[in-house]
Amino acid sequence: MTSRLERSRALRWLCTLAMVAALVVLLFPIYAVIVGSFESTETLFSGTYYWLPHGATLDNFRTVIQAQSGNVLTSLIVGVGTAVLALVVAVPAAYALSKYRLRFTVIVVSSLLICQIVPSIVLATSLFIIFHWIHLVNTYPGLIIADGTYAIPFAILVLRAFFFSLPNEVIHAARVDGASEWQTFLLIVVPLARSAVITVAVFAFLNGWGDFIFALTVLNGATIVPITLGIYTYLGNYSTDWGAVMASAAFAMVPAAVMLVIAQRYIASGLTAGSVVG
Amino acid sequence: MSAGRRHRLAGWLFLSPAILYILFAFALPIVYNVLLSFEQTSPATIADLTAPFAGLANYRFVLNDPTSREAIVHTFEFTAGSLIGQFIIGFALALLFTLRFPGRTLGRTLVIVPWLLPLIVTGVIFKFLFQLEGGAVNQLLMDIGLASHPIDWLDDPNLSLWTILIANIWLGVPFFTLLLYSALQDVPVEVKEAALVDGAGPWQRLRLVIVPIILPVIEVTFLLGFVFTVKVFDLVIALTGGGPANATQLITTWSYNLSFQEFSFGEGAALNNVLLILAMVCAPMYLLLSRGSLRRSAGAA
Repeated sequence: MTSRLERSRALRWLCTLAMVAALVVLLFPIYAVIVGSFESTETLFSGTYYWLPHGATLDNFRTVIQAQSGNVLTSLIVGVGTAVLALVVAVPAAYALSKYRLRFTVIVVSSLLICQIVPSIVLATSLFIIFHWIHLVNTYPGLIIADGTYAIPFAILVLRAFFFSLPNEVIHAARVDGASEWQTFLLIVVPLARSAVITVAVFAFLNGWGDFIFALTVLNGATIVPITLGIYTYLGNYSTDWGAVMASAAFAMVPAAVMLVIAQRYIASGLTAGSVVG
Repeated sequence: MSAGRRHRLAGWLFLSPAILYILFAFALPIVYNVLLSFEQTSPATIADLTAPFAGLANYRFVLNDPTSREAIVHTFEFTAGSLIGQFIIGFALALLFTLRFPGRTLGRTLVIVPWLLPLIVTGVIFKFLFQLEGGAVNQLLMDIGLASHPIDWLDDPNLSLWTILIANIWLGVPFFTLLLYSALQDVPVEVKEAALVDGAGPWQRLRLVIVPIILPVIEVTFLLGFVFTVKVFDLVIALTGGGPANATQLITTWSYNLSFQEFSFGEGAALNNVLLILAMVCAPMYLLLSRGSLRRSAGAA
């Protein structure tokens, strides 16, 4: 009996060991960025990779703060803008698609599913010329509209799934009390849906913050440069300033880390809700 | 105005921003991309919304251009390889997480982390790790004696497609793990126990009992994985830029190159449509798998 118990305990620790091994591989690149961002140029270009921190310098961060703080601010504006746009468009739409009997609901939901399939490069090519025509190239609204293409279909589908779980009686009660459709939505429904709304906002922010393809295409000047483009410009064909790359990559990872801590419990459920729509 | 009509009107008003957005940000660019693919564009025509009609010239170019053809082949290889790798590793991890052992809850949270990073950041990190000299991958291989000299992961045309494949598998594992794990959670305990009583071994239990139950989720996961992978752009641009000698050129990166580097927007648009058709192949299946959500009629509050 004892031996069996011990065997099962040993098996459990074996599982932990397997998980740790997998996590080391999955998380090593993040460790490498954090360590690398504190290494000196000599260490980074020594031709040897040091597994453990080899020095501690703030030079890379000094370089990057000087060169990239404006870009970090730009990315914050784009991230917040994308989140706001996604909420303004998606929350009412999801409400309409779940709590109102409208014709064409099936068509609208089907087209949202199709929208999720469209590759960004297809949209970027056309949007660049269309934006050129209506003077949205090199503007925040243009970039935010483009970045919304990642977030908005996903947001509507996730929120719709959530709204189905809201009891209709709550909405009826508000109406009986004389609330208008708009008041019911804004004062009753939105507060009840706050966890789903937060999930969607977090994802939309990360989409705007991390976007690269639209930044590369619908921005074509030096006036608006998000951090993702800032990092890209450090990559040279022959020489790359790895210290600066690592430090700016570390900066670019911060929102993901913050979001993981704040919205951890929402993320897994949000991901699965948006994906397994069946 | 009757209450019913006012109710419907409110519904449409709630929906209208989304409809306008879909028309402007999805429908218009897709239609415009089709128009563009039949136009003779040049750097001079970018300022205009239209250019002279070109017939099928852009499509003829795309089908005859060796790099475009290579890009299409690479996209297939890259997608198939990614899905197979992501599924095998993701499913193994998902199975692992269904067991009870110390640290599993923390582990499950941490598995998601790679998925939250900006793709361009993942790309530059891998470029750093796969460097010829001083890259962690070569250092590891040489430290444990698997390689006697550094391997040129990024600049050897025979290897570089494998390199972007490895990076992309790494990127997709969290997604596969998460979806498959949540499906495994839904397998009723009684079913697993019944299989145990019947004397099924672990492999039989997996193949004959568990996989058939979670098959719909496996299908959705593959489908979404396919859609994500044919779109991959940032990772490859950061890692190899499509090189060396176009060895890692995908449809997305080559289309970008045609449109935004060579300013042949017509040719880029034609290649985009090839990609769009490729991606849309799975649209009917996606809609079919989502029919539960589609059919779910309005709660009619």
